[in-house]
Order: sequence, then C-alpha cells, then structure tokens
Amino acid sequence: MNHRAGLRDGLLRARRGAGVLLLLLMPALLSAQGTPATGTVRGRVTDAGNGRGLAEAQVTVVGTRIGAVSGANGEYTLVAVPAGARDINVRRIGYSQVTRSTTVVAGGTATVDAALQVSAVNLTEVVVTGSAAPTERRRVGTSIASVDSAVIGRALAVTLDQALQGKVAGAQISQNSGGPGGGGISVRLRGTNSFISGSDPLYIIDGVIIDNGSAQLTDLGGRSNPQNRLADLNPADIDRVEIIRGAAAAALYGSRANNGVVQIFTKRGSLGKPRFTFSSRYSSSELREQQPFNLYPFDANGRPIPRFNYQDDIFARAGGTEQNLTVEGGSEGTRYYLSANALAEDGILRSTSSERRGARLNLQQTLAPRLIANVSANYVNTQNQFQAFGEQNDYGIMGSLFFAPTSVDFRPVNGIYPLPPALGTNPLLAIDRIRNPQIIDRFIGSTKLTWTPVEPLVLDYTVGIDNTGFEQRQFLPRNAVLGTAPNVTGRSQSVFQANRIVNQDGIATYSWSPVGRFEFRTTGGFNYTSQRARTTSAVANGLAPVGELVGAGSVFNAAQTDVELRTLGFFAQQEVAISDRLFLSGAVRYDASSTFAPAERWQAFPKLSASYVVRTGQEGVLNNLRVRSALGWAGSQPGIVNAYSQYIAFTQLPFAGRPGFVNDITFGNPTLRNERAREWEVGAEAGVLNGRVSLDATYYDRLVSDLLFFRPLATSTGFSRQFSPIGSMSNKGLELLVRTTNIDRPRFKWSSTATYSTNRNNVESLDILDFQSAGGYPNRIRVGEPAGVFYGSYAARNCATGALLLDSLGRYRRSNQTVDMGTTIEQRRALGGGTCNDSANAVIGDPNPSWMGSLLNEVTLGKRLRFRMLLDGVFGNDVMNLSTRAQNAGVASNSREYERELLPYGDPRKLPPGFNARTQGVFEYWVEDGSFVKLRELSATYTLDVPAVRRLFKDGLDVTVSGRNIAVWTKYSGYDPEINLFGTNAGGLNSLQTTAADRGFDFGGYPIPRVWSVSARFSY
Amino acid sequence: MRTISMHTLARNGVLVAVAAALGGCNLDLQNPNAPTEEQVITNVDGVIALATGLQSRFATSYGNFAYTAGLVTDEFAATSAALISISDAEQGAVAPGTAIADNVFNSIYRTVRTADDLLAGADALSSSFDAGTRSGLKALAYAIKAESLGEALQSYQRIPVETFGVTAPEYVSRAEALPVVRALLDSAATAIATTPPSAFFNNNILTPGVSLPNMIQLFRARYARIAGDQTNALAAANLVARTGPAAFSQLTFPAPTVNPFANVTGGTQGIAVRRQFRLSMQPQDQRFTYFVTPSDTLTGRVGALLDRFNRWGNPQAPYPVYMPDEALLIKAEALASQGNAPAAQAVLDSVRTDCTGGRGIDDPKACLAPLGAQLSNADLLSEIYSQRRYELFGTGLRWEDARRRNAVRGPVAAPAVPVDAQRCWLPYAFGERNANPNATFAALPDPTEPSTFPSGCQVQ
Repeated sequence: MNHRAGLRDGLLRARRGAGVLLLLLMPALLSAQGTPATGTVRGRVTDAGNGRGLAEAQVTVVGTRIGAVSGANGEYTLVAVPAGARDINVRRIGYSQVTRSTTVVAGGTATVDAALQVSAVNLTEVVVTGSAAPTERRRVGTSIASVDSAVIGRALAVTLDQALQGKVAGAQISQNSGGPGGGGISVRLRGTNSFISGSDPLYIIDGVIIDNGSAQLTDLGGRSNPQNRLADLNPADIDRVEIIRGAAAAALYGSRANNGVVQIFTKRGSLGKPRFTFSSRYSSSELREQQPFNLYPFDANGRPIPRFNYQDDIFARAGGTEQNLTVEGGSEGTRYYLSANALAEDGILRSTSSERRGARLNLQQTLAPRLIANVSANYVNTQNQFQAFGEQNDYGIMGSLFFAPTSVDFRPVNGIYPLPPALGTNPLLAIDRIRNPQIIDRFIGSTKLTWTPVEPLVLDYTVGIDNTGFEQRQFLPRNAVLGTAPNVTGRSQSVFQANRIVNQDGIATYSWSPVGRFEFRTTGGFNYTSQRARTTSAVANGLAPVGELVGAGSVFNAAQTDVELRTLGFFAQQEVAISDRLFLSGAVRYDASSTFAPAERWQAFPKLSASYVVRTGQEGVLNNLRVRSALGWAGSQPGIVNAYSQYIAFTQLPFAGRPGFVNDITFGNPTLRNERAREWEVGAEAGVLNGRVSLDATYYDRLVSDLLFFRPLATSTGFSRQFSPIGSMSNKGLELLVRTTNIDRPRFKWSSTATYSTNRNNVESLDILDFQSAGGYPNRIRVGEPAGVFYGSYAARNCATGALLLDSLGRYRRSNQTVDMGTTIEQRRALGGGTCNDSANAVIGDPNPSWMGSLLNEVTLGKRLRFRMLLDGVFGNDVMNLSTRAQNAGVASNSREYERELLPYGDPRKLPPGFNARTQGVFEYWVEDGSFVKLRELSATYTLDVPAVRRLFKDGLDVTVSGRNIAVWTKYSGYDPEINLFGTNAGGLNSLQTTAADRGFDFGGYPIPRVWSVSARFSY
Repeated sequence: MRTISMHTLARNGVLVAVAAALGGCNLDLQNPNAPTEEQVITNVDGVIALATGLQSRFATSYGNFAYTAGLVTDEFAATSAALISISDAEQGAVAPGTAIADNVFNSIYRTVRTADDLLAGADALSSSFDAGTRSGLKALAYAIKAESLGEALQSYQRIPVETFGVTAPEYVSRAEALPVVRALLDSAATAIATTPPSAFFNNNILTPGVSLPNMIQLFRARYARIAGDQTNALAAANLVARTGPAAFSQLTFPAPTVNPFANVTGGTQGIAVRRQFRLSMQPQDQRFTYFVTPSDTLTGRVGALLDRFNRWGNPQAPYPVYMPDEALLIKAEALASQGNAPAAQAVLDSVRTDCTGGRGIDDPKACLAPLGAQLSNADLLSEIYSQRRYELFGTGLRWEDARRRNAVRGPVAAPAVPVDAQRCWLPYAFGERNANPNATFAALPDPTEPSTFPSGCQVQ
C-alpha cells in the first residue's frame, strides 16, 4: 500500500505540475510493483512443408504484450508469461499464422512447437498503412504490398530502395545513376501522377515522415540524381516495408499521398537474453562494359594521329566494406534493439566514394499496464565524394569523356593538365583535383505512446523528427574549365542546408461491442507536419594557388533561403465487419497545406472500400479467396521548392550598388489549390493447392485532375508564367504477383515469386499548349499521349514505302530543317510523295514501359545451402541515347560511328561526310529500345554449423557470395538502359525545370556497376 | 485508484502534447525569401527600390535589343560553334521560339512592367514623396518605358502598348505606337520642367552617370526623327547638352553586376564585330579603336572575319545610354531635311572632325577632315547615314536606319558578307503566342521577310 500511496501522491503532484516530465520517471516507479506468478514457454517454429526451422517468426502470447522472435533454427523462448491457460500465436510473413493453446505453470516451462504452412496470401497478416490502426489484411479493401526483413536482407543492397527493386508489382524502381552509396534511385508507383510534385511516394519510418530529397546544393550535373536521402537508412535495421500504391489506399494521407505511401518499420527487438548479430561484407564493383570509342588512327584528312581510350583511366574496380552489429533483447516491459552500421565504398568512377556510419536505438517500454512507449532514435553520418556527371559539361567527368575528341592527350605535362579543345574539362584533372564532398548529419527519431484507457479504446500519439544537416562543398582548382567565366579562376563553394521535418499524429480507435453478426470499429485522428529547409551558400572565385575552402577566394558571393511548409489534417474512419467475411470501410480526411491559398486550402479526401472473404483455410484446390474493391481520393502538393507559389512576389535586382526590386516573372496564384487524384481498384487474392501457389491481382484506374504546372502568361505583361492547374492525366493498369512452391522436400526446396505489371498513362486534357516537360530536351506533355513522350525531329520518309529519304550524299533529311525539306508544304509533299512529312516534329518514342516483370527463384539444398536469383525486367520503353549523340557531335567526334566517316572511300563501312552532323538534328535517330532484363541479384549462402563453429557461434555462420546487376540483356547500345539523366525530385532551388514525366534520357550518366560481394553473418 | 490516476496523467500528457502540436500550426506563412507585391508598392523604400530595379532591367533589355539588332545587321557575328541560333541570326534566320527572338520582347516588357509599377507606386504614395523626388521617379519611369517601347517598335512590326493591368494586351501598328512613345517622353520632359528632380532623387535614386534631362531630350529627338517630325527632332536635339558631365549618360556596373555586352562577347560563347566595320571606314577614321581590337585571324562560326569587341568586354565597363553624337547627327539630318544644307554640313563636320581631346567626352573620335565643298542634300543624307554607322555602333539603331532606307537585303548565306541588314523584323515571341489570344498565329502572323533586294520592309 505504501508504494501505491506514494505513487498516487506523485501523480497528483504531476497533475498540478509538469505531467509529461513524470512519464520519464515511470519505469523507475513501476519497477517497485509486485511481480505476479509467471512461467516460461519455449518451442520451435518449423516449415510444415519440409520441417526446417523458421527464423524470424513472431511468437506472442495472445492478450499480452509478451512476444519473441524465433532464432535461426526456429527456436524461441517466452519468459515471464503469466500463469494460466494461454494462447500462443505464431506468425511469419509468407506463412499462415497458427495459434496454439497451452497452460503455463508458475515457475514451469511449457513447450509449444508450431509448423507453419506456406502461404503467400496471408489474409491474417496485420498491416498498418492506409488503415489508421493495425488491421488484418483481409479487412482492408485495397492492395498492400509488404516486404519483410528476410527479403531485404538477402538482397545485400546498399540502400533500401535498391533492395526493393524487382520485389513489388506496380512499382518502377529505377537506378538513375550508379554512383557509390546506392546511387540515385527513383520509385514510381503506378505511373506518373504529377508533373511538379515528382514521382516520389510519401516515406514514413516508424511514424516519422522523412525526406527523400535528391536536391543538389551545388551543380553536380544539372538535374542529375547522384543520391537520394533514403540512402541514409541502414537496410539491416528494417523489419518490414508496407507499400500502398495509390489514392484508393492512401486517402488517409490526404494531400501528400497521390504518389502512394511507403511505410518502413524498423526492428523492435525480441524478448529474451541479449542476442548479438554481426555481419560483415566485402564488395567489389566494376564497370560492366566499356562503350566503343573512335580509335581510328587517322584524322579526317587521313593523317595518322594517336587515339586514347580514357575509359581505362576514368573507371576502375572499386572496393567496399560494410559492418553491421545488432543487439536485441528484452524482459517484461522492455524490449530493445540496438544497431551500429559502417559502410564504405568507392565508386567505379575514380575519386568517387561514399561512407555511411550510423547507430540506432529502438526501445519499447511498458510504462503502465495500459500505456506503452515506443522510442526510436537513429543517427547517421554520410560522407560522400562525388564528381559531376549528366548535364554538367564544364567540369563533369562523363560529359568530358563524351565530348572530348579521342585524339587529345590528357596526360599532365609538368603538372599542367591540358584542357580539351571545345567542351568539358580534362577528366584526369577532374579525378585528381576537383572535389565535391558532401557531409550529411541526420537524426531520425520518434516517440509513440499507446494508451488503452479502456479495452475497446486505443489512443496513439506519435511525435517524429527528421533533422538533416547537409553540407555540400565544391572545389574547382584554377584553370580547370574552359572559357573566360569566373570559374576559370577557381571556385570554392560551401552550401549548408538544414532540413527539418516534424510530424505529430494522434489516432483514437474504438472497437464497439459486436451487434449480432456486425462488428464496428471507429477511428479518428489528426496529423500535423511541418517541414523547414534553411539554406545558406558561400561561393568564392579567384582562388589562391593553395587552399580548397571558400576562404581561399578573392571574389565572394553569398545567398540564403528559408522555406517552410506545413500540413494539417484530420480524419475519421468507420469500419464494419459482417459475419467476419464482408468488411466495409468508409473514411474521410480533411486536409490543409500552407502552400495553398486560404480559400482553397481545406480539402476533403474520402475513401470507400469493401473486402469479401469467399473462402478461407479450406482444403482442396482453392484454399483461400478474397475479393476487394476500393474507391478513394488523394492529393499532392508541390514540394518545398514551390512552397510560396500563392504569393505575388518581387525579387531583388540590385543595380549600381543599390538594392532594387522588380516583379517576379512567375506570377503568384492567390487561388492555388492541390492536385487531386481519384482512383478505384479491384482485386483478389487466392491461395491454391494447399499454399503451393498464391496469387494477388489488382486492376486500378486513376485520374489525376487539377495537375499543377506553369501556365504561360502573355510576356507582354512583364510576367512569364503562373503556377496553376493545367489539365488531367490518367493511369490504368494491372498488377500481378504469383508465388509458387515448386518443390518442397526436406532436403530440397524451390520456390518462385513472379511479378507482372502494366500501366498505361495518358494525358487526358490540357488547357495550355503542349509543352516540353524538361527544359531543353525533346520530351512532351501532349493530350492523348503518355506523359513525357519523345517529341522532336524525325528523318523524312517516302510516304508510300516508308523508306528513308536521303539526300544526294546519302544523308538523312531532317524533318524540321528547310535546308533538307524545302520551305513550302508543297515541296515537303513532293519530296515524300504524300503528307507523312508535313509536320516539323512528331512523337518519336515513349519512355514509359509497356510492362515490367520480375522473377525470383530461391532454392534450398539440404539444410545449409541456399541459392537465390532475381531477374528484373522492363519492356517496351524507349531511351534517348544523348550520350552517343554527344560523341557524334563535331566537337567530340569520338564515337565508333564517327570513325566510319573517317574511313577511306570504298570501305563498305564508310559513311558519307557530314552524315553524323546531320543525325545531330534527327532526334528520332537517337531513340532506342530500352527494354532490358537484368540479373539483379544472384547469391549463394552456406550455413557453417559444424560443432566447431557452433561452439563459437550459436546459430552457426552464414557465408554468402552474391552479385548485383551481374548481367543485362538489352538491345540498348549505351552503358545502361536503366540510368536516367533526371532524378525524381531533382530540379531543386535555382535549377532548371524537370517533372516526374522526364524519363528515358541517357546523357552522361554514371554507369551502374556490377557488384560482387562476400559476406558473413553470425549471431550468439 | 491507481488506474484512474494513470488515465488522468496520460490524458494530461496527451492533451498537452496535442495542444502544443496544434498551437504551432498556423498555416498562413509569410515568405521570408521575397517580399510580396503589397509590401513593395505600399512602402516608400520599396518604390525607390523599384526605380533601381527599373534601371537594371533597362540595362538588360537595351542590351538585348542592341545585341540582336547588331546580329541581324552587318555589325556582329557569332564566334562559337555552340551558338547555332546566333549564327543563324547573323545570316538573317531567326527561328520563332528561340531565345534570341524572344529575349528582346520579354526583357523589354519586363522593363515596361517595372516602369508601370513605379508610376503606380509613385502615385499611390504621392503624399509620402517630396514633389521633386516624385517628379524624378515619374520622369525616369516615363522615359525608360518610352525608350523600351521604342526599342520594341524597332524590332517587331506590331507591338502592344497597353500592358499594365490587362491579361491579353492588344497589338497596335507603329503608326499607333509611336505617338504613345512620344507622349510618354513629353510627359517625362514636362514632369521635370514643372518640378525639377530633388537632390535626393539625383543623388540616391538615379544611377550615377546618368543625366535624366539629357536622356529625355535625346529620346525625344530620336523618336521625333523616326516619326519624321524634323522640327521637333531639331528642337529636342538642341536641348541635349553637349558639354560637361551631363553630355555623357552611362549606366555603371559595379561588381557583381555585369554590363550587358560582357556576357556575350567573352570566350567561347559569344559574338564579335565583323571586320568590315573597321575595313569599310575611311583610312583616316579612328573610330574603330573605340570599339574593337583589330585582328587578322579571328573568324566566326560560319567563316565571318571578325575583330574582337573589346569596348564592353570588361564586365564592369560603363555602358552609354546613347552615343553623344547621336544628337548632332539627328540635328544634321533635320537641318538637311528642312533644306538647310550648309548648317547640316557644319554639324556633320563637327562629328567628322571630333578628335582626341575634342569635347572631353569618352566617345568615338573620327579625327577626319571636314567635308570641304558643300554637298547636295542627297549626298548629305548619305553621309549622315554613313556617320551614323560608325558613331552609333552597337546601339541597335543601325537596324532602323537600314529599314528606313530600304536597305534590308534578306538572308545571306555564309560565307557571303552581309551588307546593311538581313531581315526586317523579329518573329513574335512564343511567350505571347502561347498565352495571349491577340498574339496567336492566326491573329498575328509573322511578317513576311524580303527575299529579294530591294524590296523594303512593311512598316504598319
């Protein structure tokens, strides 16, 4: 009684004072409580098909918070289980869950073994994303993809988005560049859904909305994508990922969810003694294949000249290491997960590298029987050393490689690096002297309180923060670039960006008492997010001969920006379950963003869904079948770059040493509102042949209206454009996931997972003229065509036969040149014998794939050997090979095709003089089929568990040899059809325009390496 | 009992946290990066800053006009392989939608917009400004708006003149636009004649180096001459001061601002002066030294022989608002047109004989001999045209001179050397085509360019 009285006094004081502070003292106070009689439950979780132990199965005592995760051989231990009759629930992704009853005797040990049936369609799996509160999958009317830690871990990828490649139907996960530290990766769910808001889904990790920006703070290649900030996460910490792909599922996320939501859950720790896991990986990356260059030893006049292949000097085999240490464990009331991670790898482009060091603490503490706190803290330090590529042709290495003639000898003479004649820099100089270091300090943390004041009511409150300090420096030594621009005198730059996202979420869930066959659950809540990005930059030119920092300069320039974006939303949801078979749900989110004009700001996003379980757990051919359908609305808002577009602003334009103002040529839109997507989807999940085959299929139809873009204004008014709704766009498609267990014997198991998805994007309406979505490139937003189609000049053809119309020298005729085509329409028609050449430009390609697919095969041989192979393919997409176009340009003349122009007359490979100069102007010529199949993952794992090893490592030692991007089957002639000039949300402050539609441009990209690695992993 | 306390505690905690969450979520955020229109035009210092912004925009739009006019006449050619649209322009081909076609229009109308903003601000805050500051602000805005519209009507066949507060400005002919330009200049002249600009305006708002009265009178003379109103041209030219600091109005460019020609004349990315500018001069004429560094080797992208354009190659070099001898040449032309040949020739001689140390102004010095015997009127006009070529180089005025003398010869294919000018007008800006219903291809077709010589330009 005494301690209770003391507690009450304390609580009363707390009510008068700072109640929240006392929460921190709670564990100490609670530890004084008496402990009820408990016992232990232990057992083994196995695969029912082959009897092998199953690791990482979740074992919980029903009705309590007690739980554990099975070890490598399937064994688990639950301690401190209250005595009495208990139900033990065992669940694991990929298997049907099982509940077993047992009786726990105080001080005794009960044994509960569980054999789980394989089932890809796990209708009882609990999902969280899109449903406000944890819900069994069968109750949710939308498709949710989930990927668990085993799948992520076995990918042996550097970043999470790499690990997800080829795993999720309906997701186009493309590696835009192949730099170290994961490269730049874009994730696009169900096609292009916005122009200005990028294609990136909303990322949430343990309840924290996180930034996945790929903004460059200095020019590392125009709009290119060297890395996106998801690279700061350690994939080894991730327990599972839930992905919802569209508006129907994402309505509860309101005006940010048009592109879907990716929710990441990190490991929580299992009950029991501390369990240590250590893994170590060594990798080696290499350029998969060199590009052919002009190595013809004669110049245009037939004189002998030396030729150089600079790929040998620019690319090199690069090593990497990664170490991971995790400790997890827990006792009653406390579970913890601690990890430390160190990754260092070099890029195949010499002088580039990436290092990531991080630590994480996840703690779950029962503060009181009905109050649980979950705390996550993750600190990461990422340090990169990059080189510019892509559009950066002054000091970018790839641009310099493609634009420099192969006849230039770049080797330094007496320490002086010769510069190329017309464009770019000396790549050897760039490798040796140009530096672009990045230092990222990031903290992601969250606290979640779950309070169950009375049994049917659960209150959740989460506060999360993602705080990134990002410094980008750039050092260009003196005389590293051509021309007379100030950069010739050297440039040093330091840009610092502090980016902070704070979100708070409150959710209340009330489960009503069942009324007959009806069950009801009501959920309501709020969400508040504020993001602020503060950027300062200092730039110096006129550098001293020694010194790389801004202080070495003599001419200075500084800038500062401060941008904030806030979103507030409330939501309510009502769910009805009828006979535990039919599940109906209706919800609405009411949402406002500071970006939008006050009058347009508050928007409602409703959602309706239905799920019907036709069959469940039945024997025979068809074991499980569920059908579902949903209709929902979601929005998207412009990123932080356009946060203030509603204001009519003036900009500073100083003159003659005095401050000046002029109107911003982008006219503010005082009635700005969000983009709005309407989506319906229908789908089914089926389990066939006793879990051997399972199928998940979804068809969706989405229409995004009020698409935001820059509407041109009459420039005679002194303005150029206004950010406003300009049209609508649809995406329709099919997603299919099939899992099969082909052979399942105790000593041999072979299983496969295949995904297939198609998407058809169509620009439905535009109330402005067609426009180029990425300034300077031949892509187009055009009614009736998929977003981002290639639109440009073509080679004139004979209208009857389709044969190319060549000029007298055998060169193409450019459709948009009067020199080639004549000045009048009559001349054009006479040339082609019809109207097929009438237009100056035409749609010449489509970067959107017609379908994507993947095939994962896993084979287990005996108890110790496991093989895994993932094929990942994209089909029917076009890529514009602007890299080779650059090589063919007159200033470069370094391609193999240009070489053919130099050959002597009479050589069958000889091209007419000026042939390549002509093709520069025929964009159709550069469109190639970008379809590919990649051997994305290949690995073999052997578990060393001979007694000698087991004495050291309890669960044995896993040794894995693996490869990533081992082989590519494609007709594409460039380095890689997957790379893309633009990132997802590149086009940051002050950079040129890009949109989410801008895909399929290969221009000076960083090639994606082939990576081999060897790793070892053990626990004890 | 304990449970209830726990509830209360947790409830308090949650309520405090929720209150903290929602208390901070004001969604009406100010933009700290840029002021709003409201903040600028209702604030005295904001309106003064508009006057500075106006002068900056004028430097840009005037530079764009002069640069493009120089390319489509015989003044400039591209130096670099990279600049295809520039070397197309030097041969007379300006493709619609290219930056070279649109920059002139867009930058001119941005200048006009700022002038209109300044006029509106000066009126809205009239009680906050002293009379002299207000008259100075308004005169500056009138003068720069007039000159900008004047540059537009020297580049496009039809132009909009009413652009403030409308979303679809209407295009009018030169016959309608020119009176608007001249009326604006008269308003400027009247404003400062009625209330002389305050010392505060002259010292703190007007760019150092610019004489506002001189600039206004020179512009009045220029557009009177374009309108064929020789009487007023003569009168205004006589009001342009010829000596002292007022005689030379120039815009200054302290770092980091850059004069408009420095961006386009340096290194691998620009233009240079056609060598024939120097070689076509009389042997004694020294004016080329003012503009170019002679070269025997510099060639352009399509083989043009070039001299390096060094006058404004230094980014901080001041840039004249007009060449001082323009007033004399307008005067000579007016006198000749009025039949006063001897007086015209005397004025012309003063331009020809201007030599080092002459008037103490840093302008081109011909150092030629006087003409001698009295020339006929026709010969005088021809000589005036020739003097204008060398004296007013790089100001864009050569284009209008070629147009009014029917000297536009149509496109020239390299390596032929252009003479006078290669085209009559620029194609209309795409920014307008896309958004202004009065500027669609149907409503506003691009004028037909001459393909034979002589055929003259259609001035509407």
